[in-house]
Parts: sequence; C-alpha cells; structure tokens
Amino acid sequence: MSAVTQETTSASTQFLSDIIGKPVNVKLHSGMLYIGTLESIDGFMNIALSSATEHYENKNNGLINTYNSDVFLRGTQVMYISEA
Amino acid sequence: MSDTPLDLWKLNLDESIYVKLRGARSLVGTLQAFDSHCNMVLSDCVETIYSLNSEGMLQNEERKSEMLFVRGDSVTLITTPDEE
Repeated sequence: MSAVTQETTSASTQFLSDIIGKPVNVKLHSGMLYIGTLESIDGFMNIALSSATEHYENKNNGLINTYNSDVFLRGTQVMYISEA
Repeated sequence: MSDTPLDLWKLNLDESIYVKLRGARSLVGTLQAFDSHCNMVLSDCVETIYSLNSEGMLQNEERKSEMLFVRGDSVTLITTPDEE
C-alpha cells in the first residue's frame, strides 16, 4: 500500500472511530435520513444508533418516526454518515 | 470498540423484531436466526406492504406467514417493535 492510501485509510477509519457516541446523520440510498447517537459502526458500514429519529431527505421535511430502542442500519444501504 | 452493530441482534434471538425492507415493506416476527448478510429466519411473521390506491391514499396490506426466510439484501433497518 502506498503512503497516500495508507494516510487516507487511517484518516477515514479515524473519523469513524472519532464520531462514536456522538449525534450523527445517516442517509440511506432510499433517501431516508436517520439522526441519532452513534453506538457502533463496523467495516461494512453497518450502523447502530440509539434514540434515532427518521426523516425523509431533510430534517425540515418533518418527523416520520422516533425509535426508542436501538436501530440497526444495513451497511450496503448507507449513502453517507456525518456528525450532526 | 467492543461491540459491532450486528452483535446487537444476538440478544434478540427468540424475541420479536421489526425489519424494514426495500420497496415500502416491513416485517414483524420472532427472530430465529440471522447471519452477517442480514439473511434472517422469522417465525409468526406479519408482512405489511404499503402502497397508494387509485385515489392516492396510503393503504396497507398484511400477509401472515408461519416461517419466513428473508434474503439480507432487501433489509434496510432492524429494530425492536414499539410496545404500545
């Protein structure tokens, strides 16, 4: 592995481990947006959120659902994850 | 990081779970087995299919099955059903 790919790999894994326990936005390919506290994430981008809310595309489009228990999002369906 | 998101569901074996699928479908059933692809076996399962009727109103159709094998690639979200 070249120095550049090593650097970008460590930067992205660093980001993913840094945001654990923080509030995050997760967008799926379907357009559904989930906002909640990041409990855990794995190499497949499978994601576990606690106290998650569900919106379509944008938080301002209104609340679709609130989940009281942990929510699992399948990695293949994830478009992006960002800190809320 | 000790627990991966998939480890969450080991605790829910033999318990009721809610699964959101692609194509406006959801399942509620008892989790019998699952793997890392999110392939799952659910028992006493109710599938809800959401659609719009000719007047553009949301309608849902329910189907019951005793035992169901779900292919993992259609899974988008897993959580426990609301107890209300």
